[in-house]
Amino acid sequence: MLIEQSAYTNRWRSISPAAKGLFALSGLIASFAAATPTTAAVVALALVATTLLGAGIGCARLARVAAPALGFLLIGSLSLLVSPALDASGSLTLQWLPEGSAPFFRLVARSGAALAALLFLVLTTPLIDLIALMRRLRFPDVLLELMVVCYRMLFVFSEALHDTLTAQAARLGYATPRLALRSLGQLTANLAIQVWSRAHDLHIAALARNNDGPLRFIEPTFADTRRDLAIAALAGSILILGATLL
Amino acid sequence: MSFNDVLLQFEQVAYRYPDGSIGLDGCSLGIRAGSRNALLGANGAGKTTLFQHANGLLQPQGGVVRYAGTPVDYSRAGLRRLRTDIGLVFQNPDRQLFSASVREDVSFGPLNLGLDTDTVRQRVDAALDAVGLAHAADKAVHNLSFGQKKRVCIAGVLAMEPKLLILDEPMAGLDNAMREELLSALNGLHAKGITLLLATHDIDFAYRWADDIHLMARGRCTASFASAAMPAREDDLKAAGLPSPQVIALHRALVARGLLAATPLPRSQRELVALLETGALS
Ligand SMILES: Nc1ncnc2c1ncn2[C@@H]1O[C@H](COP(=O)(O)OP(=O)(O)O)[C@@H](O)[C@H]1O
Ligand SMILES: [Mg+2]
Repeated sequence: MLIEQSAYTNRWRSISPAAKGLFALSGLIASFAAATPTTAAVVALALVATTLLGAGIGCARLARVAAPALGFLLIGSLSLLVSPALDASGSLTLQWLPEGSAPFFRLVARSGAALAALLFLVLTTPLIDLIALMRRLRFPDVLLELMVVCYRMLFVFSEALHDTLTAQAARLGYATPRLALRSLGQLTANLAIQVWSRAHDLHIAALARNNDGPLRFIEPTFADTRRDLAIAALAGSILILGATLL
Repeated sequence: MSFNDVLLQFEQVAYRYPDGSIGLDGCSLGIRAGSRNALLGANGAGKTTLFQHANGLLQPQGGVVRYAGTPVDYSRAGLRRLRTDIGLVFQNPDRQLFSASVREDVSFGPLNLGLDTDTVRQRVDAALDAVGLAHAADKAVHNLSFGQKKRVCIAGVLAMEPKLLILDEPMAGLDNAMREELLSALNGLHAKGITLLLATHDIDFAYRWADDIHLMARGRCTASFASAAMPAREDDLKAAGLPSPQVIALHRALVARGLLAATPLPRSQRELVALLETGALS
């Protein structure tokens, strides 16, 4: 929900998603092209700065959104730094790997930069704009329809789930572990029926609006896509060039 | 088409659901072009079933549905024409909005009609404007209020420019302010010549707003009459399990005490108060 909120309220909401996508893509390429961990870290910083200063996303918000991924990244890459081993006396110890810390820093810096690029995109661009962009880029219709319906259903179901949970809790459905297990079972059954019935209703509603198969929607228009794209291309190239040459 | 032409006609329409429950039981009624219609009936009376027949989602097992004088053609092309002219707005917005984007969802119907992008854009803007949501075009559906979502649903059907707009319980779940907004949107559509048919439980609203009233009970269409004739049809209301509009009893009591003339008949509290203030004594 944090991501959703930023995507709709950030300063760059009205900038063409194609431009933001291009910039994020350049960021990704730059993070892989980066010659040294230091350059990758610089790329990451540049992307974070753009997100914070350009799009006006709050520092705390960015940190909160990035935290789970960063934590995962750090724990995962620790294995590049140390490894458990049995020493002579037969007890388990941690050993520094012979390669030293270089692979660790390289991985963390690169992944961090790539993460920053992706976060820039999702925090500034609502998913509906991204789907429209993918439609323009001629992604397969089936995939897009699935995304459209799933994305919409996500909210419908989180509401249904929340309502059912509240109703159960109000009648002490989760008072004891036994009751909780029972309530959870009922909740699952109830939601399964709702999925079915809602899918059916959506189908009927589509027919009522004269639908005969593919779901079609218009693309949103953005004020100055060409200018936005040009700026994004320029910024992206600087990022990539900088990363490879530095 | 003149005001008295019947746009949509049900003749002895019968429908039974696969599980055996009766949806419609020999239902007959007519909707005049350009009129405002209220369909009243208790829960389970068959209002939604009737609406699904009007738009060709369900096919009668007995009787006929006529649109503009001719029986509905249930071929692909026939249904396409019918659904272009008759728009149906369902009761629950979360069960009919497809896209999370307001503009995209409203574009869904007109794109299904095969219109070109420019026309679709114009229609989407016009439809959102007609329901007072022009400012919300680029919002996400899940960030709208319930009343706004309902109006997005209406815009989605309006953008198909139907001749007859059918709304299933449009006022349900709306607070007073939202009702007033919706009502003024509907009156705007009526002024543009769109025929309106809506299901409601609110007899006072129906009496005040509608030209024609249709009653349903247990799958039967028990009565159809001009709204102005309501005071004489209280037995029909009772038979359908509906109360009388409050203003009728109030007016009657005032007439009995000699405080008001027997005519004109006020159709809302506001009209009644106006009559009292102008002192239309017997
Ligand atoms: N999908 C369905 N399957 C079986 N029975 C249904 C279905 N939909 C409605 N019914 C039954 O048909 C009758 C009319 O329902 P409905 O048209 O939804 O009434 P209303 O809209 O006036 O509340 C009810 O008895 C209801 O139980
Ligand atoms: Mg109903």
